[in-house]
Amino acid sequence: MSETVLVAEELCVDRGDRRVLENVSFSVGRGDVFALLGGNGAGKSTALLTFLGFIHPSYGEAYVNGLSVKDRIREVREQTAYLPEATSLYTHLSARENLQYFLSLTGVTRSAQEIDQGLDDVSLAADVRDRRLSTYSKGMRQKVAIALAILRRTPVLLLDEPTSGLDPVAIDEFNSILGGLSQGGTTVFMVTHDVYGACQVAQRIGLLQHGRMVGLFEAGDGGQISAEAVHKTFAEQQSR
Amino acid sequence: MNINIPIAIARDEWRYWARSKLALFSCLIAGLLIVASLVSTVARIESERVTREGFQEQARETFESQPARHPHRMVHYGHYVFRVPAPLSLIDPGVDAHTGTVMFLEGHRQNSAVFSPRYASAQAGPYAELSPAFAYQVLLPLLLIVLGFAAIPREREARTDYLLYAAAVTPTQVWLGKSLALAGAACAGLAPLVIGLVIALSAGESLLIAAYMLAGYALYLFAWVFLVTAVSAWCTRASTALALLLACWTLLCVITPPVAATAAQTLAPMGGKIATDLAVVRALRDTGDGHNANDPAFAKLRAQLLEQYGVDDVADLPVNFRGMVAQWSEAKQTEIMNVFADEKMASEAAQSEVVRWLSLLSPALAFENFSKITAGTDLSQHHAFLRDAERVRFDFVQKLNNIHAEKLPFADDMQRGSSPEAERRTRMSAANWRMLEEVTTQPQTALVRISASLPQLLIALLWCVVTACIGFLRMNRRLQDAV
Ligand SMILES: Nc1ncnc2c1ncn2[C@@H]1O[C@H](COP(=O)(O)OP(=O)(O)O)[C@@H](O)[C@H]1O
Ligand SMILES: [Mg+2]
Repeated sequence: MSETVLVAEELCVDRGDRRVLENVSFSVGRGDVFALLGGNGAGKSTALLTFLGFIHPSYGEAYVNGLSVKDRIREVREQTAYLPEATSLYTHLSARENLQYFLSLTGVTRSAQEIDQGLDDVSLAADVRDRRLSTYSKGMRQKVAIALAILRRTPVLLLDEPTSGLDPVAIDEFNSILGGLSQGGTTVFMVTHDVYGACQVAQRIGLLQHGRMVGLFEAGDGGQISAEAVHKTFAEQQSR
Repeated sequence: MNINIPIAIARDEWRYWARSKLALFSCLIAGLLIVASLVSTVARIESERVTREGFQEQARETFESQPARHPHRMVHYGHYVFRVPAPLSLIDPGVDAHTGTVMFLEGHRQNSAVFSPRYASAQAGPYAELSPAFAYQVLLPLLLIVLGFAAIPREREARTDYLLYAAAVTPTQVWLGKSLALAGAACAGLAPLVIGLVIALSAGESLLIAAYMLAGYALYLFAWVFLVTAVSAWCTRASTALALLLACWTLLCVITPPVAATAAQTLAPMGGKIATDLAVVRALRDTGDGHNANDPAFAKLRAQLLEQYGVDDVADLPVNFRGMVAQWSEAKQTEIMNVFADEKMASEAAQSEVVRWLSLLSPALAFENFSKITAGTDLSQHHAFLRDAERVRFDFVQKLNNIHAEKLPFADDMQRGSSPEAERRTRMSAANWRMLEEVTTQPQTALVRISASLPQLLIALLWCVVTACIGFLRMNRRLQDAV
């Protein structure tokens, strides 16, 4: 296996007075796409937020590129682009302005052409790019958020339900973008409900149930993970 | 810390205001109020100047054009003096709004100053004078609250803050950016003040004071900026922040000043006006009636003069005994009246001293004092006017009494009731009336005003530092906060 970029080491997380992650361990190699599946409230977002240092594990540790999230949070955040579960962009700004603003805060400079290219990649209609986000639909906002995560060109992407709100065509487009990034060496950790999409792009899939990792699937050399197998395990776990 | 990030955040905040109807509308109203306050104060001062100079000229002319007459009649005829406002009263009229601006000077009495602008505008309600000082001290903080209360909770409510933090922006950078944005608004709001200061400079105010006042107003507004961002940093919901900030504003700007004034009256009470007036009358009665040379109160003066000039009868004195009595009794009475006047001024000063101590409770109160002292419109300045006016009064009365004593024969003075001839000779030439001095009370020097107001400025600075620390530390802790 190639060099590991993301490591979760026996993560235990408590939120409120409840344990929401119990001894979760996994690792993701460079250029791999890791998809975390699971029912609502299983702890998927919690696992992702632990890698950003927004949630502190009560036990265990998370590493990004060998850096401990606990101790090197700034460097970790500089190397990761995050797509939140609920799109949180500025509604008083247009798509272009949102991208320019957030990118300027991360210290990277992207030309107007590059920004437009990013919006082309997620196929956001050209005529709405200067309209304020307050006039956008959920899917349109999601496209802008995806464009932002991609335009940062960080070595690691943390994506929380990236395809929610997207139409089937856009989902296909997104999956192909992800494939391209993965080929280029970007490491992706995404939380999703889309089993079939995940099987298309992910080299590894984790199945989370009530805070425990109940299944880990890995694609063979060049092959794909079988959606039927994942689905079957998912359904079995749900019914238990 | 990379300063570009806070600047970028501040610029986005301005862009947000530019696109927010509430922010735009509030800025517009605040701008209009500030400009209106400056224009109306400048216009009022100018029209008062024209009126004052007209009356001043007229009062002098009427006095000097009085016909030949007995000098003591001129003592009772009296003269008006007018207070010239300090150049910076166009920014902060200070106590000028409450104290009188015109004083009638006459023999044997110290009158109060009358005709205050507040009295003149009594019909217009309690906030009749909208001075730039009021606009800056009370209204602009309100604008800063409206612009800034949601600065930080807005991001939290929209969850954009996590996107910022995930992009390695630190919470303290966000706090600094929002504070910068508000500080920028405060600085923009100071533009009309700069215009006012330039006008004051052209009216003779010192550059040092103008710069000092500008720095002071900036510091005061920055204290509000940091208070707003500190509260904004503490609250997760914008509505809570707004409620809390409005409560702060009401407490600091609306409630504390009158409470401090009441506390000062309780802590440093003053004798009632009627009681004091009666005490003055009682004390003056013992000095004798200066119009009656035979009053036993003047026996000592009589004996002293007879001995000095080696004569047996006051009629043989080379000076007019009645004039000497008038002079002596005016000096004696003035001495007594000055004691009471000094007492009154001292207890007024004690009250304002109490208020200055209470300034620790509110930056608004501290700053109100800072502004008045720096402008030269505080109580001490009014007291200086009262003293100058009294000096002028005493001077012209004694000059007239001197004419009475030196130029007017005693015999004629005694017979003027019975002999029209003698009466005619007691009339002194009108040329004698050209002796009036003007009252030109100037504000104290720049250094005196700066050293007097510095403690108040330090209180504002202290607020600035404390609120900045509270905001900074809160945001610094947020770095470790969980979602
Ligand atoms: N802010 C919070 N405070 C306390 N508990 C929370 C919070 N957010 C989520 N949880 C709980 O943590 C568990 C996992 O949540 P989450 O990771 O968001 O689930 P998922 O993303 O898999 O739907 C859930 O049981 C949820 O109720
Ligand atoms: Mg989730």
